[in-house]
Amino acid sequence: MAPELISSLSLWQEPFMQRALIGGVISGILGGWVGSIAVLRQLSFFAEALGQASLLGISLALLLGLSPPVLLWPFALGFAWLLRELLKRSSLSADALLSLMCSGALALSVVLLSSLPGARLSLQQLLFGDILGIAWADLLPLTLLLVVTLAYGVTSRRAQILISVDPVLARSRGVAVETHRLILLGLLALVVAASIKAVGVLLISGFVVIPACVARLLSRSFNVYVLLAAAIGALSAVVGLFGSAVFNQPSGPMVVLVQALLFVVALLAGRWVGQTTTAASVDRAR
Amino acid sequence: MTASLLEVNDLCISRAGHEVVSGVSFALQPGSDTAVIGPNGAGKSTLVQALVGLLPHQGGTIRLLGHTLPRSGRLPREVRDQVAYLPQKLLLDGRFPLSVSEFVRLGCSPCCNHRKAVPAALERLQVSHLRRRLLSELSGGELQRVLLAFCTVHPRKLLVFDEPRTGLDPQAAVQLQELLQQLRLQEGLTILQITHDLSMVRRSSDWVLCLNRALCCQGPPEHTLSREELERLYGRDYVLYEHSHHH
Repeated sequence: MAPELISSLSLWQEPFMQRALIGGVISGILGGWVGSIAVLRQLSFFAEALGQASLLGISLALLLGLSPPVLLWPFALGFAWLLRELLKRSSLSADALLSLMCSGALALSVVLLSSLPGARLSLQQLLFGDILGIAWADLLPLTLLLVVTLAYGVTSRRAQILISVDPVLARSRGVAVETHRLILLGLLALVVAASIKAVGVLLISGFVVIPACVARLLSRSFNVYVLLAAAIGALSAVVGLFGSAVFNQPSGPMVVLVQALLFVVALLAGRWVGQTTTAASVDRAR
Repeated sequence: MTASLLEVNDLCISRAGHEVVSGVSFALQPGSDTAVIGPNGAGKSTLVQALVGLLPHQGGTIRLLGHTLPRSGRLPREVRDQVAYLPQKLLLDGRFPLSVSEFVRLGCSPCCNHRKAVPAALERLQVSHLRRRLLSELSGGELQRVLLAFCTVHPRKLLVFDEPRTGLDPQAAVQLQELLQQLRLQEGLTILQITHDLSMVRRSSDWVLCLNRALCCQGPPEHTLSREELERLYGRDYVLYEHSHHH
């Protein structure tokens, strides 16, 4: 174990590991913030559908001879808009419609990928991510997205809470509910598209949703919840990447595995915190 | 004579191409407690939502705090800051990570000093001990008091409620009504509430609007809650039930 640990520590001096670390941390913060709001609005399955549809975006890009990231971001935005319009207009329930769109997009992308002549593409990289393949050029749009997302998060804090508590109450306080919903879906689509490289198509919804679920178990205020979700996203990226280097495992699954372990720890800790808080409340009431 | 806080003239509201409220006219005097009663589907929620700018109206006029509302329904900022609306039920799910004091602070306007206003509102509504609790952990009665604190943390002139006592036990319902009356007297608030609790209307309201798509009648409870008027509003069966229930 010790030699593997030393060799994995020396790996951090390699530029590809440094890029992976920066990319992982940024994606983790982005996923944590957008996931924290998405979970409150019950949009977790929406993230799953967007993740699987991203594979279709990648397939189309390869078919058109484009670099996948060039098409992926606008494709994700377009798909999010299409989903929203269908959800508004369809008489089907949201879970049935999302399941339909999710499976349809996945099936079409597999057919397209298998029909690509001479496509040199690793299905494992697409499905489970290739965080070590993050280039410096990938970090610039990620950083820009982080700045925009955090600025929006800070300025729209009151609106996000009120919409999550009750959209009608939010509208009565002058919040532009539909505009904020649209912006959140757009950001969710962009964060999913930007994080696909790190964790892959299959694990992206977990990457976005789990940090929020962990934070929710441990938080008793909105600010703590959002900050904790972003911190857990970033921390799990660092620990997952480290575990990936030590155990020579794919990085995406390791990151999500760390998140899942944190969830179990939080579940146990949350019960303890809950019992302590309840006991303290009873004492205060006496 | 005091100028009305709210004047509604010949109001018509349609939803999905169907007229839900038609030809409604009434006025609210400052400091009054007005109840909107009527059967399910009578357009009560639609009416109050249009009054607070949540729904557009297709005909007639709404004049609120000296401003005529546009038909699109959006309230001007200066009017919105003086009006609070509470929907029938919040869509909160379990373990929503929001403490009571964080929530009440959201009711502050940008100019209000939340460090003073939030504890004062919690104190006024007797919920200071709940300030660190999650909103989703509160009982129905506690949540209604916290919602009142949210509404009144910033000085308002008009409170509009859609069935505020739904789901409360009789004791909590009476306590809530007493708090409302206290706020009304201490702060000069005007209250407009949708309710099905006719005995509470008899005790507390000073004006009643009987709505069934159009206004069937309006006036003080002693006139509007007569057997004849209630029979006209709800039908014969309801009046028989209400009569036997109270005697």
